[in-house]
Amino acid sequence: MNSIDEIIELYKREIDQTLIDASLQRTVEERIQALEDFDQFREELRDAMERRRDALR
Amino acid sequence: MTRFGELLRTLATAGVEFIVVGGVAAAAHGSPRSTQDVDVVYGRGRQNLQRLVEALLPHKPYLRGAPPGLPFRFDLETLRAGLNFTLITDLGWLDLLGEIAGGGRYEDLLPHSITIAAFGIECHVLDIETLIRTKRSAGRRKDLEGIAELESLRDRQKRL
Repeated sequence: MNSIDEIIELYKREIDQTLIDASLQRTVEERIQALEDFDQFREELRDAMERRRDALR
Repeated sequence: MTRFGELLRTLATAGVEFIVVGGVAAAAHGSPRSTQDVDVVYGRGRQNLQRLVEALLPHKPYLRGAPPGLPFRFDLETLRAGLNFTLITDLGWLDLLGEIAGGGRYEDLLPHSITIAAFGIECHVLDIETLIRTKRSAGRRKDLEGIAELESLRDRQKRL
């Protein structure tokens, strides 16, 4: 096993299998849609932070 | 914000030859990891390049991260002269890849893809073994956690 394999094996110990299980319960379309939903959520959070910063100025 | 489904639908309905790779392919296989762009390997044939131009031009493709106002034209000539393009469009972020490390070009990858049906279209997605192999070949530190996750996912699917 090379050092990269060793690092990957270490990372595997940290993986939250419940997230993988939840994802596997979804259809392919639902999994890709989840990316979009999260992207939208991230954008809304960023906007909220900007509004907060503006309000504090 | 990237409209993942709409980007795939735009390419597929225009008849573009492409294979979904990267984070969206990982998500399609079940990875819960987030991504912000759509990465596709596209066919380099002249007809396919023309289809790409016709599909994407209405969505105002521009070089992502480049200062505004550059004389960038998304046309056949530009596509033929380049290989990989990281774009921003009005549907979101799209990376057009002529080839990927450890995987090669569209024709090389096609036998290592699966067909998925989603968003009212069918498209090719790189299979999980090849996705892992290409990520390993890319040798990027940021991919190591993703590789671990994909390998766990693959092993999980085998047990199901």
